Amino acid sequence: MSSIVFFLEEESAKAFLEKFIPRILPENHEYYYIAFEGKQDMEKQLPRKLRNWLKSDTLFVILRDQDRGNCYDIKQNLKEICKKAGKPSSLVRIACRELESWYLGDLAAVGRVYGINNIARQQNKKKFRKPDILQNPDIELKKLTNKRYQKVSGSRLLGSELAISGNKSYSFNIFLIGIERLQL
Amino acid sequence: MRIEEIRLQNYKCYKELKVTNIPAMAVFVGANGTGKSTLFDVFGFLKHCLTFNITKAVQSRGGFKELVSRGCIGQSIIIEIKFRLSITGVERLVTYLLEIAEKDKSVIVKREILRYKRGAHGSPYHFLDYQAGKGYAITNEEDFSKQEEELTKEYRELEADDILAIKGLGQFQKFKAANAFRNMIENWHLSDFHINKARGTKDAAGYDEHLSVSGDNLQLVANNLFQNYEEIFSKIIEKMKQRVPGISSIKPETTVDGRLLLKFQDGSFQDPFIDKYVSDGTIKMFAYLVMLFDPQPHPLLCVEEPENQLYPHLLMELAEEFRLYSLNGDQVFVSTHSPDFLNAMRLEEVFWLEKKNGFTIVKRANDDPQISAYMKDGDLMGYLWKQGFLGRVHP
Repeated sequence: MSSIVFFLEEESAKAFLEKFIPRILPENHEYYYIAFEGKQDMEKQLPRKLRNWLKSDTLFVILRDQDRGNCYDIKQNLKEICKKAGKPSSLVRIACRELESWYLGDLAAVGRVYGINNIARQQNKKKFRKPDILQNPDIELKKLTNKRYQKVSGSRLLGSELAISGNKSYSFNIFLIGIERLQL
Repeated sequence: MRIEEIRLQNYKCYKELKVTNIPAMAVFVGANGTGKSTLFDVFGFLKHCLTFNITKAVQSRGGFKELVSRGCIGQSIIIEIKFRLSITGVERLVTYLLEIAEKDKSVIVKREILRYKRGAHGSPYHFLDYQAGKGYAITNEEDFSKQEEELTKEYRELEADDILAIKGLGQFQKFKAANAFRNMIENWHLSDFHINKARGTKDAAGYDEHLSVSGDNLQLVANNLFQNYEEIFSKIIEKMKQRVPGISSIKPETTVDGRLLLKFQDGSFQDPFIDKYVSDGTIKMFAYLVMLFDPQPHPLLCVEEPENQLYPHLLMELAEEFRLYSLNGDQVFVSTHSPDFLNAMRLEEVFWLEKKNGFTIVKRANDDPQISAYMKDGDLMGYLWKQGFLGRVHP
């Protein structure tokens, strides 16, 4: 039995994955979701957490938001941390620009969670066709839900609802491919 | 004297509990409702038993059926406490065992034992052994090296079968272990501070050495320190100055109508203001310092969530002060939800409570290899707790 450890930037990512991952990965593994307190805390703590992880047969997934940074640089930097900590095969994924972009990639799910009819139609609008390039996805999501979207509770709800296929977010699909390819 | 082990059976949410290797300073974390207060109340319960009797102690906790673990009606409740104690110059690991049962609709002490080993080998010897009000105690404990037949057993019947033998015998110096245990239970202290009760003027008549559970006698205790322990009082004021911006002095003052109030002086203003207008955090920090610098510290101090109302940066130092209190030969148990407080804790000082099949178990951080590995590499307990390494909701 392998263990899969998710190192995450904050609580909302944990809330999302705790609901989402059991829908795509088999039950017979041990899952750990470890949330840090923001990016800086994550960068500071990650080396020690990776280096001293005791359980053998463990796969690591590191997920971070892109935010204002360059996503290739962020990814390289995290990969470097993994390599230095002796865990070079860790999977590093970046949410572009942030988790909310993934949610905007499936407006039908947002509609189901917040009881908004016809919202799915907006998916074909220019800005929701490629949610990864939206500058402020969380503001867009708040607008769409009339401010009802809250980071942690919203992520938890959407973790159960987001469709596995057909999401318009490129970074979400790359994350999904990475997860599906994990050598469990 | 120091408690080293606590074992509970069928006591409320603790169906089977064993906490071992308890240090002088122990911190308990756990989600709401896991039983932190219940754990501390074991000592409250024993004190209640000692002051009154078992019947009263059980009744005030809702009766036997409320006290016994769910689904365990008909079974006994067992409380077993192991503590280290020096008896006539030799350090002993003493066990106190109390078994309570229901018999014909009333509660009785089914068994009460005090035991310890007389030598490095052999099984522990019962220095006190009572069953339903009848039993014996050894009167010449100091002759521990003698053969069994030379120890004098004093048989005695208690007034009732719901009275603790240590209640009567513990009064006498010759029953060393019973005396020490009784003393510890009688003088243990729970601090569950309530700001609103601590504020205001209090009747100046009277004299209190120790802070009460809720802190409602803060003015009296502070006044006692101010009048009789000048050095301690000025040390407390010094610490207050460092921690609370603006505070330059605190003085207990008697009003014309014979009431006592605390006056806080802010360096920037000429007139002091009374405690009514001081922030919650200031009152609380003052109360903790008054408690921690008690000239006669409690043998066991239990503190519930000291972090409430306090500025996070003050918690590390406060945690250190709790540890220093425990170094005076005493013991401190703290329950907390604060990562900042935990960050000041050492690996061996932290325990966490976890529900398993409806009942609570307690785990030692030190027994967890993963936590130990991180701590060795410079991690902090508060971070690890927040990151979910202490106790797992997941399988």
